[in-house]
Amino acid sequence: MLFLKSILLTSILFLSACSDVLDDINPSGSDKRGDFDSSTIGSHPGQTAADFSVFDTLNDTFVMSAELVGSDAIVVYFTMWCPICDSHMTHMRTNIIPDYPDVQFYFIDYVSGLVSVARASQLDNGYGASSVLVDDSNHTVTNLYNATMGTTIVIDSNTIVQMNEDYKDGRKLKDVLDALP
Amino acid sequence: MATSSAWSASCCGGGGAATLVLPKFFDTMYDVSVGYEQYHGFWNQDGDHLNDPPGSDLNQFRITPGYAKRINDNWQASIVMPYVWNDNKYAGLSSNTNGLGDATIGFWYENFDDIKCVYAVNSIEDLTPAAYFGASLTVPTGVSPYDDVENSFDITGRGFYRLDANMLLDKTVFPWGLSLSLSYGVYLERDVNQEYGNYVEPYKRKLGNRASGSLGFSYSKTLEELDTLTYTLTYAALKEDEATINGSIDTTSGFNTQSVSLAVAYSTMAKDWILRASFNHLPTSDGLGANFPVTDTITIGVSYVIP
Repeated sequence: MLFLKSILLTSILFLSACSDVLDDINPSGSDKRGDFDSSTIGSHPGQTAADFSVFDTLNDTFVMSAELVGSDAIVVYFTMWCPICDSHMTHMRTNIIPDYPDVQFYFIDYVSGLVSVARASQLDNGYGASSVLVDDSNHTVTNLYNATMGTTIVIDSNTIVQMNEDYKDGRKLKDVLDALP
Repeated sequence: MATSSAWSASCCGGGGAATLVLPKFFDTMYDVSVGYEQYHGFWNQDGDHLNDPPGSDLNQFRITPGYAKRINDNWQASIVMPYVWNDNKYAGLSSNTNGLGDATIGFWYENFDDIKCVYAVNSIEDLTPAAYFGASLTVPTGVSPYDDVENSFDITGRGFYRLDANMLLDKTVFPWGLSLSLSYGVYLERDVNQEYGNYVEPYKRKLGNRASGSLGFSYSKTLEELDTLTYTLTYAALKEDEATINGSIDTTSGFNTQSVSLAVAYSTMAKDWILRASFNHLPTSDGLGANFPVTDTITIGVSYVIP
C-alpha cells in the first residue's frame, strides 16, 4: 500500500508541473472549435485563406491564389518525409487524388528549406511525379497555417479554408472534398 | 533486469519504457538508465527502407528512473517514468524539445519459490525455468499530438493508456542462459478534440493491439572477486495492428519492426549493484519492418538492489 501511495504522490507532483499532459490523462470529447467566418483572414475552417507564394521543387513559383483559378480547390499536405507522412501521402495518392481531377494536390516540405534538398527527398521517397512545394527557411506557410507533420489544408475556389487538421485516415479529407461548394 | 526493449520514435511518440523485474529474494530496486537513440531513416508501409532527408540528424535522449518493490514472496510491483529530449536537425529546421515520456506501472507474479539458476542438470526439474507472469499499465504522461502542443517535435508520448499481459521465462544453466519474453497489449479508446493545439471535430481513436516478443541468449563469466559479467544477445520483434477512428480502421497506421541487441552487465558478488550497457540495432534492410523508424540505441544503466 505504501508503494501505491508513493506512486500516486509522485505522479501528482509530476503531472501538476506539466499541465499539457493532463489532456491525455483525462481526454475531453467536447467540441471546442471556435466560430470563424470569411470576414477574417486566418487558418481556421471558415476563414478566408491568406495568400502565399513559395517555390516548388522544380524552382517554379507557386502562388496560391493563382493556382485556385480554374480549380475546385487546392489541398496542401505538410510533410517531413517520415513514416507517418509517407503512409498518409501514399494513401492520398492512391485513394483520394484520382477521384478529384479538378482539385490541385500538393505536398509541402517544411523541413528542408532548400529546393535542392526537398527535391532530393522527393525523389528518394518515390514522389517524383507529385507536385512538391518548399516552405522557406522562415517557415512562412507553416506558421501562416499553424501547421505541422500531417497537417492537411483544403482551400476552396472562393479562398475559404475548408479543412485544417491532421490527415489521419483520409476520410475527413474526402468528406470535405465531396462537400465543396 | 528489464524486459524487452524500449521502443520509441520521436515523430511517432517515443519514450515508452520497459518493465523492471526484481530478482528473487530481493526487496527493493532503484534503477536508472540513460538512452541515446539515433535515427537512420524508416521502413515505409511496403517494408522498403527510405532515408531521412539529406542533411538531417535526428536523435532522442532518455533518462529513465525506475523503482521496484516486493509486495510479498511472489508478487512485485514497479514503476518507470522516462524523461525525453528530442534533438532534431534538418537542412532548414532545428528543434530541441523535452518532456516526460509515458510511464509504466507493472506487476509481476513469480511462479516459483526458489532460485532456478543451476550449475548442472541432474534431473528434469533442473530444467524448470523461472516463470514470471505479469501485467502492466502504460499511463500517457508524455506529450502527445492530442495535447496543447505546437508541433510534432514536442511529442514524447503516444497519448493512450495501454494494458499489457506479460510473460517472462528465464533459465540459466551456468554459465549459459536463455530467456523468452512475450507481451500482448491493448490500448484503450479515447476522445480526441485537438491535434497539435488546434481544436478539431471531436472523434474517438484507438491504437491497434500490439504483440511483442524477445528471445535472449546469455553467457556469464565469474570474475576473480566472484563478481559477474554477463553478455546477452537478444532478438526482438514488435507488431502493432492498425488503429481505428470512430470504429473504422485507419489503414495508414500500424507497424512492425525487428531488432537485435547486445548487452553486457556487471554485477557484484552480492548482486546488489548491477551496471549494464547495451546496443540495440534495427537493421536497414528492406522487409524487416514496416511503417516505423530505423534506429540504433545505446543504453547505459545502473541498478541498486536491496535484499
